[in-house]
Amino acid sequence: MVLYNFKKITVVPSGKDFIDIILSRTQRQTPTVVHKGYAITRIRQFYMRKVKFTQSNFHEKLSTILEDFPRLDDIHPFYGDLMNVLYDKDHYKLALGQLHTARNLVEKISKDYVRLLKYGDSLYRCKQLKKAALGRMCTIMKRVSPSLAYLEQVRQHLSRLPSIDPNARTLLVCGYPNVGKSSFINKITRADVDVQPYAFTTKSLFVGHTDYKYLRWQVIDTPGILDHPLEDRNTIEMLSIMALVHLRAAVLFVMDLSGACGYTIQQQAALFQSIKPLFANKPLIIACNKTDLQPLESLPEEDRRLLDELAKEAAQSSSLMLVDGAQEAKECLLTMSTLTDEGVVAVKNSACERLLQHRVEVKMKSKKIKDVLNRMHVAFPRVRDHKERPPSIPEAVLAKMKQTEQPLTRKQTEKDLENANGGAGVYSASLVKHYLLADDDWKNDIVPEIMDGHNIADFIDPDILLRLDELEREEEEREAAAEGEDEEMDEDELGPEEMEALTAIRKKKKLLLEEHRRKKRAADNNPVVPRKFDKDQQFTAGRMGRHLASLGLDPSRALERARSRSASRRGRKRDRSAAGEDGDAMDIDQPNKRFRSTSRSKSRAPSETRPGEGYKDSAQKVKAMKIGKKAVRKRNKQARKGEADRTIVNLKPKHLFSGKRSSGKTDRR
Amino acid sequence: MRLEKCWFCSSTIYPGHGIQFVRNDAKIFRFCRSKCHKNFKMKRNPRKVKWTKAYRKLHGKDLAQDSTFELERRRNRPERYDRNVVENTIKAIKRIEEVRVKRESKFWESRMKGKKNQERKEAAVELEQSIHLVKAPLAMQADPSLTLPKVPEQIKVKVAKKQAAQAMQE
Repeated sequence: MVLYNFKKITVVPSGKDFIDIILSRTQRQTPTVVHKGYAITRIRQFYMRKVKFTQSNFHEKLSTILEDFPRLDDIHPFYGDLMNVLYDKDHYKLALGQLHTARNLVEKISKDYVRLLKYGDSLYRCKQLKKAALGRMCTIMKRVSPSLAYLEQVRQHLSRLPSIDPNARTLLVCGYPNVGKSSFINKITRADVDVQPYAFTTKSLFVGHTDYKYLRWQVIDTPGILDHPLEDRNTIEMLSIMALVHLRAAVLFVMDLSGACGYTIQQQAALFQSIKPLFANKPLIIACNKTDLQPLESLPEEDRRLLDELAKEAAQSSSLMLVDGAQEAKECLLTMSTLTDEGVVAVKNSACERLLQHRVEVKMKSKKIKDVLNRMHVAFPRVRDHKERPPSIPEAVLAKMKQTEQPLTRKQTEKDLENANGGAGVYSASLVKHYLLADDDWKNDIVPEIMDGHNIADFIDPDILLRLDELEREEEEREAAAEGEDEEMDEDELGPEEMEALTAIRKKKKLLLEEHRRKKRAADNNPVVPRKFDKDQQFTAGRMGRHLASLGLDPSRALERARSRSASRRGRKRDRSAAGEDGDAMDIDQPNKRFRSTSRSKSRAPSETRPGEGYKDSAQKVKAMKIGKKAVRKRNKQARKGEADRTIVNLKPKHLFSGKRSSGKTDRR
Repeated sequence: MRLEKCWFCSSTIYPGHGIQFVRNDAKIFRFCRSKCHKNFKMKRNPRKVKWTKAYRKLHGKDLAQDSTFELERRRNRPERYDRNVVENTIKAIKRIEEVRVKRESKFWESRMKGKKNQERKEAAVELEQSIHLVKAPLAMQADPSLTLPKVPEQIKVKVAKKQAAQAMQE
């Protein structure tokens, strides 16, 4: 299917613009630098290239224009005639023809000048030749500039034409001016056609789309038609006529019964008669508009007769086969009011219906229908014999069906019980009643689970009594066996006194152990306390005596000895001293004689050697002592640098300051 | 409700007591008290911890095998309730328990059988060997019996007055 879309035609520049475009393109897209000193072939080539390039550009541009504009012979006759009416066919063809000629002329000029350029003997002459060539081409274009202007106008108008598909299902609305055609189309489609209360508001064709039976219908609004000969019709009226002539559509002839449009019913009938030939072979409906002003019923008698006649004629012209003239005629005459929406949809539906029917009829008459019908087959099974074959229902099913007709005594469900016993939330269903036990009385038993720290379930066994018997027997055997054996005592028991001794021993051991452990814990860290500070009276003679006695010894001699050694037994210290002994016989003649207390031991010089010390003589001992003293003496360093001081041995070590280094290695390497 | 056994110490867990741990392989560990739970968390082996039933059974401290134990075992097959069977069972449980306690005490007795003799023997040896701690060897010479020496009530130590007087004089 050819879609008529004239919106994609490229813009046609005016003659002057055309030349500018071409020349600037030549300037921009060909080399521009040439010198006298170049080889002549190079110069010739340079200019030939310019001429050829210009020519090819002209050719290209003109060709696109010629291709874009539709050729009147190729498009649908509706569009052909429409363009004839609108733009004048001759003028259009002439304009395109001129462009075509111009294209050829430009080609010819370029050929000539290229040939001449081949003989150009200097840069100057070549340049002149090129200039002449381009000049002549531009002159030709200047001559066709009126045609270009005309084509631009046509292009702009064409792009704004409604896109009417001549082969689609179409409703065509026609009639006198101002009868309500545009109002009708506004009502049934989404088109927004200007409606005004004066004649020729609509000056061109308008297209709207509507739906009927899930199909897409285009509705075409036409300008009004006046009743005069074809030759007198103006361009606007001619649009309507063209549409009527070329579109195979359902025609809606809109009439104004009230005469508010300024034309009487007679005049409108006359128009109908005059354009009747255009309605041939098309479904036609006469839609009587403005019934809100003038209902059909209250129409004068003669007007009514006129209408009926029109309807009859309409029925004749539209329908190919006359089924029922009167009936058909009634269907062709419909009333509506675009103001109150009354009957508008009925008119649309009836028009669409009639067109569909018409199209089917036309198709049925065409030659191609046989190909379609051959492929179709509707099967009707033939009756084999006259035997009855009723549906077969088994006996059991029939019986059951009969049974179900009678009311059943329904089984009592839990739901019923619930409703009977206080409803939901009150009634609690008993699970116990469904138990399957040997005795129904057991159902409500409370089964013990735990006894004496045992799970009863762990002992449950149908033959528990048997097992128990077995156990009893086993136990009897065991007891019988156990009677024989006695406990024999080999060892004699210790006597009470011995036991006493043993306890004492154990106690003693325990104390010893504790003491030992205490000492061990203290780990040589016991304070050494002189005996004279024996606070706890641990080391007393009495204690010693008691201890010895407890061991079974006679402590008397030991105690005696201890006391005899005691200092206090020998009297006072003063009495014991040497001075006291002979105080009155002081000898002055012996000044060197050393007085000493009897308690004091004999003092010696440190250098004096004693046997066992290991020194040869006292000199050696003195020397050794000196060395020893020196060794332990702390040295005073007098704030001099020592090895414990923190030092930085080398401020700039060579290995850190020479050679290449990578990142982050300034202080170690 | 069931009485469960502690996983660690095998004591009985009454409903509402203890804590249970379900491992991600769905094994359930029940513990009677936090002590057992803690020991479990410390990954201790109950067979090596002396106070558990497992240890005691393993080391022969408790009765490990007995026909009374056979009678009490977990039955995973549900039995249909029968009043008579349950009645008999409850009666039987008491008797079984008696027998079990008896056997356990018997076991203990037999286990402790040589103990007293042993103790006596040890005591005799100890007495003989350690008597010196409480009785001096000199005293033993006088009285060789293994008893405590007789201690006089008051130990009186004679102090030679002569000596003292002499000392005074000096």
